[in-house]
Amino acid sequence: MSVNEVQQNKEVEQNWEPKILVFACTWCTYAGADLTGLSRLQYPPNIRILKVPCSGRVNPQFVIKAFQKGVDGVLVAGCHPGDCHYTSGNYFTRRRFLLMRRLMEYIGMEPQRFQNRWISAAEAPKFQQVITEMTEEIRTLGPNRKLRDDQW
Amino acid sequence: MVDLTLEIRKTAKELLEKGEAKVVLGWEKGNFPYSTTPVFIDKPEDTERLIWDEYCINNLALYMLDYKHLDGKVGIFVKGCDSRGINRLVQDKQLDREKVILIGLSCPGMKDEKKAKELGPNADIPMAQKCQDCRYPDPVVYDVFLGEKQNKKVPEKIDTSDVEEMETKSPDEKYRFFTTNYEKCLRCYACRNVCPACNCKECIFDQTATGWLAKANNVSNNMFFALTRAMHVGGRCIECGECERVCSVNIPIMLLNKKIIKDINFLFGDYDAGLETEERLPLGGYDYTDPEEFM
Repeated sequence: MSVNEVQQNKEVEQNWEPKILVFACTWCTYAGADLTGLSRLQYPPNIRILKVPCSGRVNPQFVIKAFQKGVDGVLVAGCHPGDCHYTSGNYFTRRRFLLMRRLMEYIGMEPQRFQNRWISAAEAPKFQQVITEMTEEIRTLGPNRKLRDDQW
Repeated sequence: MVDLTLEIRKTAKELLEKGEAKVVLGWEKGNFPYSTTPVFIDKPEDTERLIWDEYCINNLALYMLDYKHLDGKVGIFVKGCDSRGINRLVQDKQLDREKVILIGLSCPGMKDEKKAKELGPNADIPMAQKCQDCRYPDPVVYDVFLGEKQNKKVPEKIDTSDVEEMETKSPDEKYRFFTTNYEKCLRCYACRNVCPACNCKECIFDQTATGWLAKANNVSNNMFFALTRAMHVGGRCIECGECERVCSVNIPIMLLNKKIIKDINFLFGDYDAGLETEERLPLGGYDYTDPEEFM
């Protein structure tokens, strides 16, 4: 049994819970998450929300670095196309991450681990649904070892 | 090719003697029969060093960055891939087109120097992989043209069969393939230094204080380097294959770059970098009708 396997088994044994990083655009998704809470809609507590001014602020390094530091999934969420507070930020996001998602899948990352969604400030049920689904998908996949830096 | 060599020397000499160009960039013979190195000529009498043979594989375009602020013009010999590199630099506003004199040469395809080293002096040396797949043997832009244009049939579309083969593998197989390759990576950054698409004044991999890329050499950090570089040159890569050629541990770097080119063609319409200088880059713009997969 390799060192990695030992560590992996240890994590599963110790009631491992998925750890998901959500890049939330401050104008839509962050407000949407806020509304989810205010509406008392339950979603799994496995996410860490990181507020960014616009989904266009997220660049590929953020995602790779997150996986390096040991998260099991990354979600980049922003305003629907046409709704961007800065007019066009999310159009750039769309192009960038259409490519990035394919690249991550190409190097062997499971596509479920890196997702993108449009969630507006009014879509509290959608936020709840996306987070619940993603957590379940990653729970079935198990802890992520790919791209992970061993020191973390 | 011997005739062309003489013509190259004559042209370079004229440019320097008339003072039209301050420097001329070309190739000279290296230490081995199968090697050439870029050469920078600034005196008319030195033009005898210039050569043109089947090993002039270096892409000279990126050296123009060193002459960005030169007072005067630079003459540069360009093959198909070099001319696309020049276009890329002009498109990125790194270079003033007025300040370069492009002397076009039609490239018959260069031989593989690594194979030549292996096979010895008398063997029949195959063409380099990048030249076998080449779609632009003639320069796409030039001021003067020497010799004759190639009248050979070139592939219409980029050959992505190796990428497609990789895509069919399972996630774990793919991950194992890339990590075993990038485990070898020394992070010498030769691929970045030779790349005509990499022209940032300060590269992210040099900014050690920001902590993006750790100094530790392990698979995780090497993959960070590989993926980030692939994304950074996405839409700019001119498929010259120089990164792969200079890699001292033979990592198939073009597998990542070609994947991105393939996806750009599929998602945003066919795009060949370095063919013109005005259009926006695929990742520098957007279209309302881009495919919608995020929902």
